[in-house]
Amino acid sequence: MIPELGLIFLIISTVTAVLLSFIPLYAAYAKNHYLFSYVKTLTALMTVTITASILCLLISFLVNDFSVAYVANHSNTQLATLYKVAAVWGSHEGSMLFWVVAIAIWGCMIVFSSRYQDQLYVGRMIAILAFVIAGFNLFMLFTSNPFARLLPNFPIEGRDLNPILQDIGLIFHPPMLFLGYVGLTVTFAAAIAALIGGKFTQQHASYLRPWVLMAWVFLTGGNAFGSWWAYNELGWGGWWFWDPVENASFIPWLVATALLHSVVLSQHRSSFKVTTLLLCLLAFSLSLLGTFLVRSGIVQSVHAFASDPTRGMSILTLLGVFVCGALTLFALKANLIKSQSEFKLLSRDTLMLLGNIVLVVASISVLLGTFYPLLFELLNLGTLSVGAPYFNSIFVPLTFVAVLIMGAAPLIKWQQDSSNRLYPLAALFAAAAVIGVLVALQTRGGFNPWVWIGATSASWILLTLAYLVFSLRSQGKKVIAKKCAMLIAHFGVAISIIGATAVSNFETQELLRMGPGQGKVVAGYTFVYEATVDVDAKSYTAIQSNIHVSDSDENFIGYITPQRQTFKTNAMEVSKAGIMRNLVRDLYVSSGQQLSDTEYLVRISHKPLACWIWIGGLMMMLGGFIAAMSGLYNLRRQQLTATKPLTATQLTVEELA
Amino acid sequence: MSQSYTSTLIRLLVSFALLLCLSLFLQASAQAASDKIHYTPEQIRDLGFEIAHELRCPMSVNQNLFDSGAPIASELKGQIFLMLEQGESKAHIIDFLVQRYGEKIRYQPSFSGATAILWFGPVFLLIGIIGFAALLIREQRKTATTKANNHE
Repeated sequence: MIPELGLIFLIISTVTAVLLSFIPLYAAYAKNHYLFSYVKTLTALMTVTITASILCLLISFLVNDFSVAYVANHSNTQLATLYKVAAVWGSHEGSMLFWVVAIAIWGCMIVFSSRYQDQLYVGRMIAILAFVIAGFNLFMLFTSNPFARLLPNFPIEGRDLNPILQDIGLIFHPPMLFLGYVGLTVTFAAAIAALIGGKFTQQHASYLRPWVLMAWVFLTGGNAFGSWWAYNELGWGGWWFWDPVENASFIPWLVATALLHSVVLSQHRSSFKVTTLLLCLLAFSLSLLGTFLVRSGIVQSVHAFASDPTRGMSILTLLGVFVCGALTLFALKANLIKSQSEFKLLSRDTLMLLGNIVLVVASISVLLGTFYPLLFELLNLGTLSVGAPYFNSIFVPLTFVAVLIMGAAPLIKWQQDSSNRLYPLAALFAAAAVIGVLVALQTRGGFNPWVWIGATSASWILLTLAYLVFSLRSQGKKVIAKKCAMLIAHFGVAISIIGATAVSNFETQELLRMGPGQGKVVAGYTFVYEATVDVDAKSYTAIQSNIHVSDSDENFIGYITPQRQTFKTNAMEVSKAGIMRNLVRDLYVSSGQQLSDTEYLVRISHKPLACWIWIGGLMMMLGGFIAAMSGLYNLRRQQLTATKPLTATQLTVEELA
Repeated sequence: MSQSYTSTLIRLLVSFALLLCLSLFLQASAQAASDKIHYTPEQIRDLGFEIAHELRCPMSVNQNLFDSGAPIASELKGQIFLMLEQGESKAHIIDFLVQRYGEKIRYQPSFSGATAILWFGPVFLLIGIIGFAALLIREQRKTATTKANNHE
């Protein structure tokens, strides 16, 4: 009963979405205010029905209705309730539904908010969102219905959620990423609405900015949690593998980063409006392309998730429709959008433009590397792999250039600046480069250029930020507070770079055969293998190695317990690393295959400053969040002053008195 | 007369060829001897891990040799360390494994006509976009100034 209700809700929302994707556009075209007044009603109806639909799926999970194929395949009676909730978006059908629901709710919040004065623009935007929702809903209904039944022979116990996903990481990582993609969908709709209307004012840019920022915050979170989860769960000790699936979410992040800086230019300087719109289209297209890459199974990946070639074709069709439509509209209407470009060569405008270009080039390079093996095979040139060494050698230098620009831009004035300003910058860079040399000389093999790049980047950002705060101190706290979002986010980038450089270049690791009683000294810490024990948990059994750790003064500091887990339901084996962490280093132990009766292949690593990578990520998210909230607050204030001019004058009168 | 002349010529040629072969052989063996590098145990460990990070495991989905737990990966890691102990260079070891398992094992594709785009693409793209943006802005300014002049 409940799954059928869910399906009916899904169908109702699809029909509503189809209506909603035409009505506002037609009403705006025909200047029919009566028809236009239906926008809010239809949006509410669409959002409520689609939300009801996902709640029906959730209820089916909670009551163990295994006659529903999706529930039967991803849950069982033994699964903890928390994972049942997470299983709703844990695989293809459910994650599609989750995505659509999130688009609807985000759109609904915009439509019902009184912040946005330009009703026509918001109406057009919701029409585009409804069109996207309708596309995905039809895709779900025809190729991947989450409510499909398994009657009459359904499993009584259900099967299992992919065991590798039974981790706290699953609760955060996929929904964050989906919400990021949803945000990009909203910015895409906003860009199309601007193109249809033929104008993109500073007002529109100030609407767009909080949405872009929130999308970016979610994408940052999605990537950071994903890498955190891979580090903890997969037992390989890496935090970034340049795997196609990781790249699929990283590429939109890079474009979104460029976009959020471009929106600032459009909002404050009324410039680069066409660039901003194009980046909106690009970010959304790349997020769909990433989804296609992940879901179709055309690339080999360790994270292969819900892959199926038929779905690939459907996603590719959707991608084709959206992207071709958007680009055609862009080609027709982009010339209507006028930007200012009154700035000199030496100005913050130029630097931000350059920075955005570098970010876009970086994202396209990653895209090229990800798709190259595929293209190579399609053109019958043979097979090849493009992996971490290639990506590092392309991406690190590009990041370095981006970081140089990022440090300098806030110190240069808008529009134009005198070349005198370059002297302190040169001095700061010299200082950063010297710090880089000093750090790079500490590596084992003598001077290491990669370490130099990392250390110089980080110290350059920190020095320029400190100089910025120092030079702003005379202007009072208010000016600094205004910039605090940027300061926090840029500081986070520096922290992440420090962590990444330290882990990649100063890690000490050993790969050895270990059994009870054997020990090894790694980076001053003594690791003694004490015993192998069997662990029996609710959903898995595990072979656990108890490893006694003491520091260089032979003080006992704790046990590290890596496990080899075997899941009861499908006998899948996974390795769970044991990690002992603090702010300056992670001690990482993972145990691999059994080599003899008592001995295992054990990997021990000392990873200096590992958690800085994610602390930096959190700071970037915080910075983005503060900027988004202050953007929304400013919109609200503008709206209040616009609707109540009397109170505003009263206020000024009071202030004068 | 002519016969003895030819035979001397042949003898000369043969000895010359022998000499050439000998010198080539000597050179080769000398090179081979100089190729053998004496690593310290730390160097062997670091270099071995480095090589294992740059090669793809032929068995598992998309993992490097170092991370992979497949039996073939352990075997190949053993092979790498063995060759390092024999004093082979990193490039030689990678070439040896590429010959055995194909180009796909290399995570860093070698440079060739077909991979040129991969290596030069990003650089050209960067220069191209910056150039394009500069042209576009210049064009925009020109139209802006002519419009302003017309208004005057």
